Amino acid sequence: MPVVELSYSRLQKLVGKVSKKQISDFLPFLGLDIESEDKDLIRIEYSPNRPDYSTDFGIALGLQGLLGIKTGAVKLNVKKSNKYSISVKPAVSKIRPFVTGIVAKNGKIDDKTIKQLMTMQEDLHFGIGRKRKKSSIGIHDLDKISFPLVYTTANRNHKFIPLNSEKEITISEILANTDVGKDYGSLLGQSSQVPLILDNDQNTVSFPPIINAAITTVTTKTKNLFVEVTGINKEDAEDMLAVVATILQSAGFTLESVKISGAKNSSPKLDHRKLIVNSSLINQTLGLDLKIPKIISCLKKSRLDASSKGTNIVCTIPGYRFDIFGPMDLVEEVALGYGIQNLEPTISPSQTIGEINSISLQLKSLDKTMIGLGYLEALNSSLTSKRVLYDMTNRDSTKIISVLDSKSQEHTILRDSILPGLLENLSKNIHESYPQKMFETGTVFVTDNPITEKINFSAISAHKDANFTEIKSIIQSALNIGFGIKVETKTSAHPTFEKGHCASVILNNIPIGIIGKIDSKIIENYKIRVPVVGFEISLSESILKN
Amino acid sequence: MSQVFHEIEKKIIVSLKDNPKQTPESLEKSTQLSPDQIRRGIEWLRLKELAIVNESKSSMISLGKNGIESLQKGLPERRLLDLLKNGPKKLSDLQKELGFVFGPSIGLARKNNWVEASGDEIILKNSPSELPGEKTLKLIGNEKLPKDKIDLDDLSGLLKRPDFIIEDVLKTQEISLAESAKTLTLSNSVGGIDVEAKVPEVFVARTHPLKDTIDEIREIFVTLGFSEILGNMTQSSFWNFDALFTPQDHPARELQDTFYLDRINAKKIGTPEQIRKVSDSHKKNWRYQWDINEARKMVLRTHTTCVTIKHLAENKPDEARIFSLGRVFRNEKVSYKHLVEFNQIEGVVVGKDANLRNLMGIQREFYKRIGITKIKFWPTFFPYTEPSLQTMVYNEKLGKWIELFGMGIFRPEVTKPLGITKPVLAWGGGIERIAMLKYDLDDVREFYNNNLGWLRSATKCQ
Repeated sequence: MPVVELSYSRLQKLVGKVSKKQISDFLPFLGLDIESEDKDLIRIEYSPNRPDYSTDFGIALGLQGLLGIKTGAVKLNVKKSNKYSISVKPAVSKIRPFVTGIVAKNGKIDDKTIKQLMTMQEDLHFGIGRKRKKSSIGIHDLDKISFPLVYTTANRNHKFIPLNSEKEITISEILANTDVGKDYGSLLGQSSQVPLILDNDQNTVSFPPIINAAITTVTTKTKNLFVEVTGINKEDAEDMLAVVATILQSAGFTLESVKISGAKNSSPKLDHRKLIVNSSLINQTLGLDLKIPKIISCLKKSRLDASSKGTNIVCTIPGYRFDIFGPMDLVEEVALGYGIQNLEPTISPSQTIGEINSISLQLKSLDKTMIGLGYLEALNSSLTSKRVLYDMTNRDSTKIISVLDSKSQEHTILRDSILPGLLENLSKNIHESYPQKMFETGTVFVTDNPITEKINFSAISAHKDANFTEIKSIIQSALNIGFGIKVETKTSAHPTFEKGHCASVILNNIPIGIIGKIDSKIIENYKIRVPVVGFEISLSESILKN
Repeated sequence: MSQVFHEIEKKIIVSLKDNPKQTPESLEKSTQLSPDQIRRGIEWLRLKELAIVNESKSSMISLGKNGIESLQKGLPERRLLDLLKNGPKKLSDLQKELGFVFGPSIGLARKNNWVEASGDEIILKNSPSELPGEKTLKLIGNEKLPKDKIDLDDLSGLLKRPDFIIEDVLKTQEISLAESAKTLTLSNSVGGIDVEAKVPEVFVARTHPLKDTIDEIREIFVTLGFSEILGNMTQSSFWNFDALFTPQDHPARELQDTFYLDRINAKKIGTPEQIRKVSDSHKKNWRYQWDINEARKMVLRTHTTCVTIKHLAENKPDEARIFSLGRVFRNEKVSYKHLVEFNQIEGVVVGKDANLRNLMGIQREFYKRIGITKIKFWPTFFPYTEPSLQTMVYNEKLGKWIELFGMGIFRPEVTKPLGITKPVLAWGGGIERIAMLKYDLDDVREFYNNNLGWLRSATKCQ
């Protein structure tokens, strides 16, 4: 979950008439978790579906609603202007076809505001921008740009001074030598042409989705902003623009429109949407009996507008709330406006009779039997390593099932056997007193078009007198008491077991597993100083009943 | 009540009251017990702090083979001097008479100036009446003497000679009664045992503590009317993600968070209708090109929700309470609070009247039954539920609220494409977290270490 850092005092100014305690009490009920706080600073975790909460301006809008200070939908006041326009060349359509934008004027930009805007930009890039693939933003100093702009393409030898640089370098150099170039260059594919926004003086404004030009860098001296969003579809680009526009307006800027035209592009509408929800869906889903005016006031506290039409509620949803897909999302908005803390849990009698799954029951009965026989239950990971599973026990590793890019070397391969894990456990316990007797039942994985999961049962006994007879007695008793079945043993060989002390476990003439004395070399490699006997059988095919 | 003593202990105490400082050997004589009985009796009394055992070491000296020979024939150098008493002798003659002690005795006598060589003859110069070592040799004789009774200077020369002196180091014990034992009255009751004595530790065979917690949780949901379903840990991305409205380009689906199986893809992922409707829902709502190959990629399930949603899609019940319990996987770095593999419970209620307050009620009831009463609910976000909540429970030890189960109502974007028409309440969460509270553990890895020291001794604290 993304985290935003902000200060109580700034938030208090933005919300108005609110105590520090009210803020910390109400933040969780907006769905925001306070991760940590230190005097005036708080770090807040927010959900990626609410990029408006990536800034204190957006959080303030939410708190105002919940506290009843300001309710209803935020209206964007965009002054129509003819001064600003972007024309789009058809060449971009194969690379990054859409651009949109807005102008924000007369704002006050301090360090903290710049920091908040940066966090917002990062979050939008990562979340709805899908790491800049779907859409990306550039925020510029308006006064450094001469309009009209053109959204076009250039070849990779095109030169400009990018952000955080002092000299002119080529597109190829940006992609090869800068961090952002290396991270996002792959989004442009192998095309010789790259997207570019140029101003009227042929100065480069932005090289989306990679980097802005240095000349338009926003500083604390900047008064007026130009925001452009480019992307692979128009809706996503405009959604992103709606978030930025709403936040900038809340930050005190006045918005002016940018005209977009050419190659299937058009000016953004930044419209409200209408969505209808029936009041009975709301009451049924929440288990409440709210009257229509109450529902409307709850929605307004969630910063939406609403009116009634019979039992239907017609909601007005501002552009930045694209997390709202349908009526059920509005039900949640009502719940939030109502206050989750005001929802009283109820318990309704069950109409169904509960049942433990029969496999679980059978395994539980086996557990009990093994405990009666003096065995301690062990639990090992299903995801283990080649070392434990194959190398230490000489087992055949040709049908290995591995996972991609594990962050832990000890967890890279799905186990096809339980016994190796138990041997590993013994090796970690050589300082504990003997006898050591352990068992485990669990899932093993077998490659089989594509994969079959089976339940295996394994046990080991380690002490100075451990021998084949002992472990054969154990498996026969366990299966007889646990499942009422009788198994036999038949001479066999297995790389994990000592020659001449190894047998197949046979049930109705079918081998279901292996039993014997663990090979002395393996025991030695594990530095275990007593003999070890053990077995492993499959329970799935012939023993467990569904 | 008087303390009960073993017959052996009684006899030793009685003997020590008569004769306060004794060795085990003298106790053997006075009590008529065997050496082994005495040894055990002394050890028992020592552990009870009724007897004091002082151990001391002493050396006993006796003569070896060559020492005994010298006692009989005189020291080799004495034999040499005696041979020269009647005038000088030729080397060859001396060699013949003295045999193998010839060399060392000539060497010693010349070094001490008792003899001198002249041509091939040896001449006596001086014959002391007592040579070094002679006194000690006589003193020891055929006896075994304590080392401290012997002149150590005189002994030192003999110790250097091979097989002259045998030194035995003896440990001797001196046993006496502790003050508290001196006033003991010994009862004459027969057949009693010391019921206060320490006993050896035995280890219980048991189910794994985490499994106990899992079983406990399973039982609670069964008594609340829920039935258990099982499902695979390896799942297609379709059921783990797509069916749960998680878009294919969502960060949660990336390699760094999810374990994908290497080169293993599902052949059949769902019915053609399920695939078509799920992909339509993605295209319409998330606006991207849905790719069936992405949905075929096999993953280790990141939650048990894939098991319940698959069950609902196959059975489409109008009314149901089911739960699923088992291992889930996250591609994380292992630490004291994160495992790559842990257990999760996931439950759903299906019914036309199922609502959010019911869902909260079931949670409250569950927590009450595992002993947690201080809970509250916060809104949160999950891609597949709307509304979504999380339970916060108060942890007294940490003095703060911690997050436990997440819950919500399955989104219509999830249920509708799969033909599920009734509302579905769903919740789930990790079990290790609850087990950590129960067993007062700070490190979640302990559950999978199979450390016998812990498994044999772990006790519940809640």
